Amino acid sequence: MTSNNNDKQTIVEYIKNWSRKHSLFVMAYGTGCGAIEIPATMTSRYDAERFGIRGAATPRQADVLLITGYLATKTLKRVIRVYEQMQDPKYVIAFGSCTINGGMYYDSYNTINALDRYIPVDVYINGCMPRPEAVISGFVQLQKQIAEGNADNGTKYKENLEWYRTNQTKIIKNWRMPDYNW
Amino acid sequence: MEDLGIKIIGALLTVVLAFTVGMTYGGIVRKLTARVQNRRGPVVWQNFLDLLKLQSKKTNVAHGFMGHMAPVWIIIAAGTVLMFIPILNGDLWFPNLTFHGDLIFLLYMMVFGSLGMALGAGQTGNPNSAIGVTRGLSQMVGFEIPFVLALVALMIQYKTTSIQDIMAIQAETGVWMMFSNPFAFLAALFASLGMFRYSPFDIVGAPAELASGPMSEFGGKYLGTMMTGGSIFAFIKLTLYVDLFMGGAGFGTGFIATIIGLGILLLKTFSLYMVPVFYGWISPRYRTEQAIRYFWGWPTALGVIAVIWAIF
Amino acid sequence: MVNLDKENKILETIKTTFNVEGRVIRKNRVEINAKKDIVSSILLFAKNQQGYIHLNHIACVDWLEKGKFELSYIIWSPTDKITIFVKTLIDREKAEMENIDNIWDQANTYEREFREMYGIQFPGLVGDFEFILEDWDEMPPMRRDFDTNAYAEKTFYQRPGREDAKDVREELTKQSGEVIPDFAKKYSRE
Repeated sequence: MTSNNNDKQTIVEYIKNWSRKHSLFVMAYGTGCGAIEIPATMTSRYDAERFGIRGAATPRQADVLLITGYLATKTLKRVIRVYEQMQDPKYVIAFGSCTINGGMYYDSYNTINALDRYIPVDVYINGCMPRPEAVISGFVQLQKQIAEGNADNGTKYKENLEWYRTNQTKIIKNWRMPDYNW
Repeated sequence: MEDLGIKIIGALLTVVLAFTVGMTYGGIVRKLTARVQNRRGPVVWQNFLDLLKLQSKKTNVAHGFMGHMAPVWIIIAAGTVLMFIPILNGDLWFPNLTFHGDLIFLLYMMVFGSLGMALGAGQTGNPNSAIGVTRGLSQMVGFEIPFVLALVALMIQYKTTSIQDIMAIQAETGVWMMFSNPFAFLAALFASLGMFRYSPFDIVGAPAELASGPMSEFGGKYLGTMMTGGSIFAFIKLTLYVDLFMGGAGFGTGFIATIIGLGILLLKTFSLYMVPVFYGWISPRYRTEQAIRYFWGWPTALGVIAVIWAIF
Repeated sequence: MVNLDKENKILETIKTTFNVEGRVIRKNRVEINAKKDIVSSILLFAKNQQGYIHLNHIACVDWLEKGKFELSYIIWSPTDKITIFVKTLIDREKAEMENIDNIWDQANTYEREFREMYGIQFPGLVGDFEFILEDWDEMPPMRRDFDTNAYAEKTFYQRPGREDAKDVREELTKQSGEVIPDFAKKYSRE
């Protein structure tokens, strides 16, 4: 990963990022009400497969986790477990205004307001729900970030694990999760 | 010594050829499927991009010794079987290690890869993998019966168990095996629908079924290796069919003749590949017991008729 | 003139059998107000003898000013196609109601929800306590004196930037020139 110039990538890194951005496996997990836009994006009219995006069934095979909409605290516990099972490098795309600042559920007793404090997020797409064109533009933005080489939030999660855990255990009181030794 | 050198280079060439052709066929089929569904699909080299991305994952999680071994076994099985299939007829560069009885040997070795995947999936302890493996092996019991019956019919009819001899007979008589024993060809064609794991027999590895069955705990480099093994196996099966039933491919010796021979081989294998793919575009998925009942119905009957025809 | 014969007939039957109050709201809608002791007898009578075999819904309204919960049992008959609301009032401080699990099986789910969300106890109800919420140790959240806004601000991190948000209703009334009535003013943001 070393290079002569600090802001130019080596040829190996360039090829790796080129292949990563053209083949994204999306985890088939609809966390909230925005999951209804995902089939519309994947099927014939707004075809997402021409970008190389396809669905993957398990977190072990997936690259991208889509947080589509509001996150209840019950779902957050499961989403954290899924996120920790994915393999590096992994990306998170957050749909909708509920992940940005709470959306229309900002004063609800069981939905979280800012997703950034619990898992690291790469791209936010706003809307309620975003249309398939907006979803595809979000993926293109993610591809741009991968090509520049600064989309490595999986490592950032591991380094700042203490901070994320403090935030998570503050709202999830019964923390019975396994410790992963990645 | 020079002969050995040529053979080793030829072996490497064979592996590279099988890998490239297998992955490209996968990409072409994805593109064709997309066009049938009225959309643009991925680029034709998409499978290579997937493989590159999977190999460049930074952390790879495995659950013990068998999890490491499973992809290795698939590659070993694929490579071994590849050495025994005649790619081009009577060519200097592609070594075809043949001996009498290699047809029966091939039948055993092709199962070896699935066995490796089953063992690797069994060690992860994921119940999805266990059920997926059971379904896959049950389905394999289904399609092996018409396949073996077809091959036995061929063996009885021509009193040989070597692929080279069968190809020689086709070259001699000038008539493809497809026409001289049509029932065997039909039975083997039905079996090929199950071998390539397209719809309606894709219950084993589909993402919507049991979180993709046996491969549910493999990610990163292991998944990439298994995809490669799967593509090589697809090419192996296609070439075997072409050699047995369609007269093989070969054009003589010499560099230009090799290229033309390879072109004929690609044409024949691709046209044979289109049969399961076409059938897959229009079929929904069968459950395991429906699939086994399908295979033990008409295809087995055709196989039995083929054996009877071969005797008389 | 709409024909309300069937509704009046069923209302008279229940009134004479059980000595309760009631009225016909409109066609196919009958409402009965009863005390909480005889509600299960009314439901059993309607189910077995009058043909009201379908339980539509059980709803709970929190009357904070009166200090009572109002439970409505909504039942329906497929032959007469009449919906009957059987309403009772129970005390808010010590909320207890009879378990009608043995009349209709699906009432189990409704009663577990009320036990968790409103704090109404049903003696004899079998089922896990935790149903919708996980690890919840505050007061039952659907009660009207639970301030959900304050709880959300205390527990979750709010992203700054909402301070200059405008109220939708205020803006629309300013544009169209109408006046918000007094009882609705306490939900305004200003």
